[in-house]
Order: sequence, then C-alpha cells, then structure tokens
Amino acid sequence: MAEAAAPRPSPERLTAAFAALQALLGDRFSTAVAVRAHHGKDESYHAPFDPDGVAFARSTEEVSAIVNICADHRVPIIPFGTGTSLEGHVAALQGGISLDLSGMDRIVSVNPDDLDVTVEAGVTRKALNTHLRDTGLFFPIDPGANASLGGMAATRASGTNAVRYGTMRENVLALTVVLPDGRVVKTARRARKSAAGYDLTRLYVGSEGTLCVITEVTVRLYPIPEAISAAVCAFADIKGAVDTVIATIQQGVPVARIELLDDVQIDAINKYSKLDLPVAPTLFLEFHGSKAGVAEQAETVEAIAKDNGARGFRWTTQAEERTRLWQARHDAAYAAAALKPGAKFWATDVCVPISRLTECIVETKKDVALSFIPCPIVGHVGDGNFHVAMVVDPTRPEEIAEASRLNDRLILRALAMNGTCTGEHGVGYGKLDFLVAEHGEAVSVMRTLKQALDPLNIMNPGKIVRL
Amino acid sequence: MPLIPQDEAGVQAAVADALSRGTTLAVEGLGTKRGIGRAMQAGETLSLRALSGIVTYEPEELILTAQAGTTRDVIEATLAQRGQCLAFEPPDLSALLGSDGPGTLGGMVACNLSGPRRFAAGAARDFVLGLRAVSGRGEIFKAGGRVVKNVTGYDLAKLLTGSHGTLAVLTELTLKVLPAPETAETLVLRGLPDAPALSLLRGSIALGVEPTGLAHVPGLAAPSLGETGALTLFRLEGPGPSVRARAERLRGWLAGQGAPAVETRDNVADLWRALRDARPFAGPDRRDDLVWRLSLPPASAAAVGARLAALPGVSFFFDWAGGLIWAATPARLSVETFRAALQGAGHATLIRAPEALRASVPVFPPQADGIAALSRRIKEQFDPRGILNPGRMEAGV
Repeated sequence: MAEAAAPRPSPERLTAAFAALQALLGDRFSTAVAVRAHHGKDESYHAPFDPDGVAFARSTEEVSAIVNICADHRVPIIPFGTGTSLEGHVAALQGGISLDLSGMDRIVSVNPDDLDVTVEAGVTRKALNTHLRDTGLFFPIDPGANASLGGMAATRASGTNAVRYGTMRENVLALTVVLPDGRVVKTARRARKSAAGYDLTRLYVGSEGTLCVITEVTVRLYPIPEAISAAVCAFADIKGAVDTVIATIQQGVPVARIELLDDVQIDAINKYSKLDLPVAPTLFLEFHGSKAGVAEQAETVEAIAKDNGARGFRWTTQAEERTRLWQARHDAAYAAAALKPGAKFWATDVCVPISRLTECIVETKKDVALSFIPCPIVGHVGDGNFHVAMVVDPTRPEEIAEASRLNDRLILRALAMNGTCTGEHGVGYGKLDFLVAEHGEAVSVMRTLKQALDPLNIMNPGKIVRL
Repeated sequence: MPLIPQDEAGVQAAVADALSRGTTLAVEGLGTKRGIGRAMQAGETLSLRALSGIVTYEPEELILTAQAGTTRDVIEATLAQRGQCLAFEPPDLSALLGSDGPGTLGGMVACNLSGPRRFAAGAARDFVLGLRAVSGRGEIFKAGGRVVKNVTGYDLAKLLTGSHGTLAVLTELTLKVLPAPETAETLVLRGLPDAPALSLLRGSIALGVEPTGLAHVPGLAAPSLGETGALTLFRLEGPGPSVRARAERLRGWLAGQGAPAVETRDNVADLWRALRDARPFAGPDRRDDLVWRLSLPPASAAAVGARLAALPGVSFFFDWAGGLIWAATPARLSVETFRAALQGAGHATLIRAPEALRASVPVFPPQADGIAALSRRIKEQFDPRGILNPGRMEAGV
C-alpha cells in the first residue's frame, strides 16, 4: 500500500528517542513485539502498521514530556485509547511511538449542578456511566465499542442516541490538549462557548490525533429520564421503515434512538444474541421522557408505523428486555463477523439526506444481493446514516477486492445524493481519497491548517490529509 | 460606497482585488451587527446583501440552504409557513444596538448568536451543517455538507461559525431546522431572590421535565419589562398533553421545594422575545450603558450575580438557568473594574459600547497565551494578509 512507503524515522533518531522515553517512563515504555502489534491495529479490516514503541502515559504533564521528546527527535506520535477505531486511525503508517492513554482513567470532576464532567482521555464511556450511576445523570453517546472519551472526541464519535442528544461535536464543552511542541492548552472553560475567539474545541474534536493529543475531555451530561421505553417493529419493506422514521422526525417526536436493521442483520443477531425476532426489516426504537411523554411518543410512532405497513409494534418499559435489545444492537457488527468463521467486518459509513435514504439502501441491497459477500445492514436512520457490515476474510484478496468495489459504488452513490462518505467512523487512512472526492478545495484548506498547527508533521501523520 | 458583489464569483473577485491592491475589507450583510466586536478601520466595505435568496428548502429533510445575504425575516417567514423554526432562537439585537432589523443569515452565523433555548437545543453553531465561503486567500471552498452527521476531516463549518468574518467571507449556509413547538407553557414565580431562583431553575433540569427556557429577572431589572418585582420563568414546550403533564410535575416539585405560588401568564412569547433580545437594556433609560453578555457555569451564576449587584448602577438578568448573564453597566464604571469583579468566572463579551471604547479595550474576553497563539496561526492560514475584518476579534486577528 502506498502509505507504507512513507519515510520512517532513522534508527539513530529512534535510538535517541527510546533512551529518553525509557528514562522518563521506565517500564511504561515498551518495544515488545506483542505490545507494538496490539497498538498498530484497530477493529477494522485495514492493514495494521506497528509502531516502533509504545509509551504508556499517566498524566498530561507526562504526555507533554513524551511529545517534547518525540518532537526533538522528529518521531511520529499516534495517540491510542482503546484501539476500536474503524478506518486505521491508530496504524503507525510512518512508524513512531504509539501513545497509550488508557492509564489516564481518572474522573477529574463531576459537576452535577452544571451538568458536566471532566475526565481523563482514557476513561471509557461505560466506566463513565458506571461512575455516574448515583448522580441521576448519564452520558448518552454510545458507539458500538466501549471506546475511551479521548478517542471518541478525537474521532467525533456518535452512536445510537445521536438523533436526540447529538454527537461528540455537540457534547464536548472543553478539551485539554498537548500541542505538537509540548505545550498544554485548555481550549475553553466549562462555560457554554459564547463568542470568545475561534472555536478550537470544535477544531480539535474530530481531528483524529493529527493536530494534538487530547488528554482531558469535558462533556455535557443529561438527567436520566424519568421513564424509558423501547419498541421493536418489523416492516414489510425498507421503505415502510424509513418512511416511518421520516414522519416521526417531522412530527417533532423527540425519539431518543431509532435504528434500522435489515433482514440479513436480524438473522445475524438472532443467531449471535439468541433472539427470535421475525426476519424482516425492523426498527428498534427508544423513548426518553416523563411517563406520560414516553407513552405518548410510543403511541404516536405506533400509529405512524401502522400507516407504513408495520407488522406488529411491541414496546416495553422493562429494563432487562430493553438492555438485551440494545446490547444486541451494539453487537451487530460482531454478529455480522460471526456469520463466517475467521472473518472480520468492513463497515461502510455513508450518510445521505433522509429523503434519499430508502433509495440509497434499496439500490445498495440490489448490489450486495449479487455479491458473494454477506452484507447485513444497520442504520442510524434518524440521521440518514447506515452501515453495510461486509463480512470479509482479510487474508483473501478476492474478498477485499469485492468489498472495496461495493464500498466504492456505495460512496459514489451517496455523494451523488448530496451525502457524505463517513457519518461517524471518520477518515483515518481508509478514506483519504473519498475526502478529496467529497470536499475538493476544502481539503487544501485542511492541509494548510495541518501544516500550520503541526509544522513538523509528527502528529499521526498520513491521516485525514496527505501532505 | 460599499462593494456589493452579485454572486459568489463576484465575492471572490472582490477579495482577489483587495489582495492585489493591498486594501482591507469590512465584511457585512446589512450591517446590523456592525456595533459588535472591536471597532476596526477597513479600507472598504464588502456587503453580502445582494447574495440573497433561499437556494433550497426541503421541509421534509429539515434542511435549508440560503445565500449568506438572505434576511432573517425571509428565512423565518419561510420556515413558519411550514411550521418549522430555527431552534436556537437567534436574537434580534437591533433595538439594543440601534440598528435596523435582525439582519442576515450570514451575520447570524458569523456572530453565532443564540437565544433562550440554547441550553436545551444547542447554539447556532450546532445547527450549521455546511457552508460555502471565500477565504482571505481569495479561494472558494465548501465545508461540511447537507447531512446532519459527517466526520470528514476538520470541522471547518464550526470553526467559521462565530469567527466574525475574520477567516473567510461566508457566501452560502446550510442549516438544520426543526419543527416549531406545538405548544408552550411558562410557569412564573414572583419575588424570589437570585440564589434560590437559580437553584430552582437548575433543579428543574435535573427533574427531567425538559424545560426549554429558564430565566430569572431580578427585581432591579423587572421594571424595564413593565413588571414589578423579580420574575423566575420556566418554559416547557412540545405537544399539548406532554406539556401539561410536565407542567403538572414541575408545579408539584416547586411546591415541594417551598417555592411561592406559581402564576400562569399570557403573552409569555413576548416576554421570552424581550429576554432573547436583551430588551431590558434597550430602553432610553439605559441608552448610554455598556451591555455585556457573560457566559459561565450555571452553578456559579448566583455568586457572580452577587458580585455584580455590589457594583454601582449595574443591572442584570439571567438566562440558560444561569449559564448566561446579560448585564448593563453605567458608562462611568470602567471595563477593567467590571472584568475584575467577575474574578475570572466565564466569558464576558462587550456587546454594546461606543466605538471609541471598542477600539481601545478588549471586547472579547482576553485569551490565554497558548490559545491566542493558536488563533493567530489559524487566522494566518485562512487570511495570511489580514484583509478580512482586521482587528474585529482582537488586535492582529
């Protein structure tokens, strides 16, 4: 692959950097083969690239010192949280140091009165919610994996709750970052951002480690709703399901989650999560609010669904059943991979205007029906975003080639519909070319920003933009 | 005479021309927010007023694309016809600033102004999905897109929102719009001091009744709204049955907290508009006052309010459950004294002040060194010759 040919630091530089890192970190700096291999790959099908070493940081000051060492010796730095990215974000394309932040897992301060929390970058979303359990508050953003808040901010992650609560973009209030020259900057105070200079927080959220290392994240919290109910509803066809979603959102029903699973995906989760749902296009929904509000929302959506050919609408307020349903949804990608022994999944990530969503999914299903690769579909349909989880064996070139062909066709289709190639997984090194196809001149604006803010190009080089 | 290009290519030509002549440009729509930001001296004015018109409005998509010079009146009337709205409730500061009307879409995005619903619904910035612009290098680029989620690289659309025209000239905006709330009900408490009022406002969020307006007007500011005594306001919006059920729950909770009797009021939409537009400080009695917008963590609002109350002649009210304080200070009170009284709490922006003052003091909260250096580097990339709104945000930016 072309990226592999990029220059790597010379052995002399690495030796000098390693000595300084070892002096700083002792046994928290590792060059062991297994440790390096673990840090060069994410959860995707993308080829791994091992870093030359792995540094385990415990504090912002330590990150700053590590970055200083790497800057002195021109050694790339690739921030690493839980390694659950999907576009090769953590691959050390040009070698260098993987900076593992998982040891920075302290909750710095919970401010229930202000509805925010500051955490170190390595805190995972589940750990945060466990910590918040007794406060009556929760953090709603839930990508499939139990990702770290630092990684989620760096990739501007979202999840099944985005339709109501937004994504990391809307929910990060402030960041502490270490710049490529080792300086530590807080992008904002906890106040709601209000006309106080350029919005550096939003610039760094989604910058995929290419501009800075995020070491602390302040996010918004929400009161746990008085009542939560979940519903499952099968449809005769995709169109009925999507039309239900469109009508629901247009009527202003504040649905919290509204997810589509196609027949292939339902079959996969039935097997993986031991459920017995009818094998048909299905919506999973969740409503948050007061007891009356939740009942009213469910009734409104049920009426809409019936108008659109729903086959039964089951809803429940039982926590256990709800949890089981949503765990199955979160495990959808793993369920897909389990369709074939030894397989991984390649998740597409287009997002299109919602009026084009039915057409986009139906056309895509025609494509994949003719393919030899199993292709379950799940979608955050309220946002126009859906994933085809193509089940591939990465060791078989013909499967990768076929998945690549399907992915290209899907992305071009989405772009022709005024959509985007990636709604939530990001660019990494997997979508560099599509970013150019989608944004044209804006990519050169991004390139000049990258050059201005990381002049040595040591921050996760080769991701988002090529220099 | 301002330069008035007719289309995006014309904007590009105007910027290229300014670059070649080494002149600077004051970028504006209708100029209604000229009074916001540092006073600046630009060679020429570039008006976007002719780039007017809705490009596409798809109510079923909840998305609107319009040229930057389209007036807010046109946008809001168009949305209202389909029962939709700009959910962040952008203020109309014309009465406060003595300008003519709410201005243009481009000005609204450039200033990132949001009203009372902001704490619940998000800021203007959160609703900007995509844009087209001409950078200070004279290059046309687009950012973001027409879908609610995308993670395609750096979030340029959000970076440009609130940049006060100092990075690029906005030519076209794509916004997410939302269905207008079917009904609204406002619960009013009278006569509460600031601290307990703010505590109840914050508590109502945790209660889960989903308020979309939480404001407190102390007794001192009340007469400017034609009221006597302090007002504490809780607004609930949504479908009728849901609003009624939540209002009932909130009433019960307030009673349990020992709050005074809840009053139900008519014409509350006017009251919320008045707060949104900082009307308490728009009257002739406060014509010469400086007006500040302070955003801060809500839990510190009462303490900051107490410090402000100790300053002579200062009036203020709270929005966003205390996350925002609007304050009017007599001209004799120095900017330094006011900022010092805040003791570093939150961000204080001088929204209304005479031009001479806006030329000599920081209008926006002074930035830490690291942040200021980063801001300058960003400015240099978009506008290396510094021709767009020079010094509008801070000297050199």
